[in-house]
Amino acid sequence: MKKHLKVILLIISFSFLQINLSYSNEDAPLSSISYDEIYDPIEPINRAVLNFNFFIDDVAIRPIVKTYKFIAPEPIEKGVSNFFSNLKEPIRTISFIFQGEFYKSINSIGRFTINTLTSLGTFDLATRVGMEKNETDFGITLAKGGVSSGPYIVIPIIGPSNLRDFSGDVVEYFVDPISNNVPNREYIALGNGLNERAEIDEQLDRVRDASSDRYEMIKSIYYQNRNAQLEEEYIQNLPVPKIYIE
Amino acid sequence: MKIIILLFSTFFYFSTVQASEVSEWFEKESNQFLEIIINKDGTESENYEKYKIFINKNFAVKSIAYGLIGENIINKSSENELSLYLEVFTDYLIKTIYKLANSRSGSIELKDVDVKDNIYIIKSIISDKKASANLYWKVVETGSSFKIIDVIVENTSYFVTKKSEFNKILRKNKGSLKALIAEIKKI
Repeated sequence: MKKHLKVILLIISFSFLQINLSYSNEDAPLSSISYDEIYDPIEPINRAVLNFNFFIDDVAIRPIVKTYKFIAPEPIEKGVSNFFSNLKEPIRTISFIFQGEFYKSINSIGRFTINTLTSLGTFDLATRVGMEKNETDFGITLAKGGVSSGPYIVIPIIGPSNLRDFSGDVVEYFVDPISNNVPNREYIALGNGLNERAEIDEQLDRVRDASSDRYEMIKSIYYQNRNAQLEEEYIQNLPVPKIYIE
Repeated sequence: MKIIILLFSTFFYFSTVQASEVSEWFEKESNQFLEIIINKDGTESENYEKYKIFINKNFAVKSIAYGLIGENIINKSSENELSLYLEVFTDYLIKTIYKLANSRSGSIELKDVDVKDNIYIIKSIISDKKASANLYWKVVETGSSFKIIDVIVENTSYFVTKKSEFNKILRKNKGSLKALIAEIKKI
């Protein structure tokens, strides 16, 4: 655990160091809603990793996901998705505490208790009784604490991220009370990864042939989705075209 | 005090009337859009033609096209280049919307209308047997009717996504509109 703590402290320190680095670099976007110039200093490497990810997806992951979606009936798919989402409620509870969102924190642990006791998390009864799911993670916690996003990075196999969100993911891996207390946590991580991939299967199919530059498209979609989790009036504040006479 | 109340009431009255007008327009056009998506009896080119008519009627194509390349490129490009770009982009917009919508069916339900800086933000939900998704439409009033300037599926804006793609192509090609036209023609 001491070793884990050192890693966490190192990552957090690096993330905070990134605040100063970003502000001293004029290329880095200061606002979270700057979409035109996303800070991407290692773009050639990122592009190579994205191509590698698509290759791995084509030869190994996609066939598994397509077979799973073909075989599994809709309620099974939904149940599996609920199961993995429920496992994340304890880490969401911790994230909300760090964000000072105590009501949401209680809501998350309440949801975990209800859904685990009634169906091992496969059925989302909590939502039916009015306890809506609130998404969050450690990347959001760092963002709310003022940490800038840092450079955009594409992680092998995992996909798009940035330094802040990736740091958040690493912290979560070490402090998650569920995955730290179950045997063979690698299998849970693998199952969760495949489930997340299955959830975005349709969107990914569209990205493959609806874009002139899928790298830029994925990067833009990633930042839009993260900003939507951070901003209250995200939809209202999105940039719009100047109006010309049609 | 009376004047303030009167002004407030007038403003509230007109906002409500305009919101109901845009809701009425939306209900009509979204039903027509659904009909196009669901009714696939015709040939591919006939169906494509239906999309073309719908998009030309309801989308602010010129505003979206010019917004994507920005003022600098517009100012330094010739009239011919701009009109060719507009033509190619219109075709590109129809193709991308056609691809996005072609696999969908189900219903579109209007949820809410909000106004900010003279732009209507229509929140709707598109759903089929499998799932549902939030669908936002940013709409402006153009004299007698309304035109769509952006479509946002869940949190992904068509305008923002395409702008970053187009910007990248323009930066890579030193701001050449010709290069952008060639690139979007490939889709």
